[in-house]
Amino acid sequence: MLLEKMKNWFRRHMEEQMAKIDLSNISHTYNPLDPKPTYALNPFSMTWENGKRYAILGPSGCGKTTMLNIVSGLVRPSKGEILFDETPVTDLKTEDRNIAQVFQFPVIYNTMTVYDNLAFPLRCREFTKDKIEERVKAVSDTLNLSSFLNSPARKLTADQKQLISLGRGLVREDVAAVLMDEPLTVIDPDLKFRLRRNLKEINEQYKTTLVYVTHDQNEAMTFAENIIVMDQGEIVQVGLPKDLFEKPKTTFVGYFIGSPAMNIFHSTVSSDHEVKINDTTIKTNSNLGNLKDKNVKLGIRSEFIELAEKEKNNTVKIKLTRVEDFGNFKLLTGKMGNLVIKSKVEREKPIPDGELNLYFPPEKCCVYSDEKLV
Amino acid sequence: MSKLYTFLKYFFITFWTVFVVAPFLWAVSTSFKDFQSVNSKVTYIPWLDFEPTLEGWRVLIKSPAKGGVDIVEPYFNSIFVTCTASLISIVLGTLAAYALSRFTFKAGFVRNNDITFFFISQRIMPPIVLSIPFFIFLSTIGLLDSLLGLVVVYIVLLMPIAVWIMVDFFNRVPKELDETALIDGCNPYQAFYKVVLPNSIPGLIVAGMFCIIFGWIDFFFAFILTFTEVQLLPVKVVALNSSITPWWSLSASALVSVAPLIIVAFIVERYLSKGNLSGALK
Repeated sequence: MLLEKMKNWFRRHMEEQMAKIDLSNISHTYNPLDPKPTYALNPFSMTWENGKRYAILGPSGCGKTTMLNIVSGLVRPSKGEILFDETPVTDLKTEDRNIAQVFQFPVIYNTMTVYDNLAFPLRCREFTKDKIEERVKAVSDTLNLSSFLNSPARKLTADQKQLISLGRGLVREDVAAVLMDEPLTVIDPDLKFRLRRNLKEINEQYKTTLVYVTHDQNEAMTFAENIIVMDQGEIVQVGLPKDLFEKPKTTFVGYFIGSPAMNIFHSTVSSDHEVKINDTTIKTNSNLGNLKDKNVKLGIRSEFIELAEKEKNNTVKIKLTRVEDFGNFKLLTGKMGNLVIKSKVEREKPIPDGELNLYFPPEKCCVYSDEKLV
Repeated sequence: MSKLYTFLKYFFITFWTVFVVAPFLWAVSTSFKDFQSVNSKVTYIPWLDFEPTLEGWRVLIKSPAKGGVDIVEPYFNSIFVTCTASLISIVLGTLAAYALSRFTFKAGFVRNNDITFFFISQRIMPPIVLSIPFFIFLSTIGLLDSLLGLVVVYIVLLMPIAVWIMVDFFNRVPKELDETALIDGCNPYQAFYKVVLPNSIPGLIVAGMFCIIFGWIDFFFAFILTFTEVQLLPVKVVALNSSITPWWSLSASALVSVAPLIIVAFIVERYLSKGNLSGALK
């Protein structure tokens, strides 16, 4: 009894500092006994700094959820170590790690009221009554749940239920990190926007580390300070939204981020700084000295392609096939031989019919060799 | 067309109601008759058709020494055996079902589904196949003709039902619920009894209902495994029949034996109509 109390006291005091989370050489397979196991996560190392907002971005089945489950302890990684503030927690059980996790679909305790739902994580950790009341009130105010506190949780609508799940994650102010697995899927767009801002505020106010899994790039871009892009169990790029947009490290990131996707063309290296696409020479700022005869591609964002009055250096001639008006910009689609080029231009700009010249600014051109940025 | 449909609908509902209720009414009326009113001509309504008597009911509680049959003791025996066996089956069955639903078992080629099927297969076998092993088993451990022996046998019979219903139920409870409880700070046992179990009350009620029904109506094993010391209600009711069938006390005892099931049905029905079953899993 006494031992139990001491343990709890100790645990609570340890938990008062939030943690830096280190993932060191983590990899995971779901069929470890197979002679040739397939890896859901390939070996990687990463550090999540305390109090920052991270987004994990990637298509379905790329290992995002596995990564979260490894951090929260629901899944034990096949290899590697997890450290919270330099302390290894790999063998620690979920309930002993100080992590909150919100799933894609609302998980609520049907038999309890909204208040009890929100108070549950605190009760499990034996907080005092006053403290519980204070925290539940604060969280329910933030999430607009105050008026439902005494109604049974199962009577609420799907998005309110998801707010409860979210609230259970946020109610513990001392968590090392709140992990969210596409938490806003079931919530309507208007509320989504407001909630994302709320989460940001919570993060700034309490300095809680937030990790947000999504396959929606806009969500990731507007939410996170750091974005982790994943593909097929591999971490492809970690960086600021700006980096991901302007200098995608692989062609996958170029395709996946941005709307429309990055223009990417097969090309050949013609000199140290120039590539050729369909006999047109494009100058870039990359050093291409030793890339001859390799699988070389040129990538450029449609946002950076400019309309040119006449043919000059670094322009390509295209045949316009389609102009789409998106209200705030126009999207031109054109063909150069068999290559499709998309370009975003200002709405007011007059678009000449038929053939036109597009200018590729050299500093915005990215050259990829074997799908990786040079 | 729709008129015809309405007509047919009400016709069949009425037909079915009569079909179900009439035997009951018949039994109620018969239980108040004496030899004369049963055997002479067909009679229906007390006081008009025949003079009602409580003799049929009185016999049930009179001791055999005074010419009665005394079903009170078998009645309580039945209640004890059914409730104890159901309770133990539900507790063990629920734990087994939770394990089968949440953890992965491997033993040679045996997997979770095989184990579940192994449980259910106990009910696929014809009871007569089980009777001899049970008989030998109980006589070896000296529990033949005892309440405890019957409880043991009934647990074997009822637990497959509990496992079967609860595995299915737990499989439909998302595993994220357990995971959320773990993340919220429960250990696995707390997650089970604080979160998963309260969510499974509808399933427990259904499983409990089936256990009670199957336990209560069993005649076969009660008949084979008991002799003189212990008697269960179904055996006693059948034993009422003699050279002159006492229709009046037979009817009365039949009504008394059905009563607990009717009460269970009413309780469960009330619970179901609250909507607690439907909204639990979304």
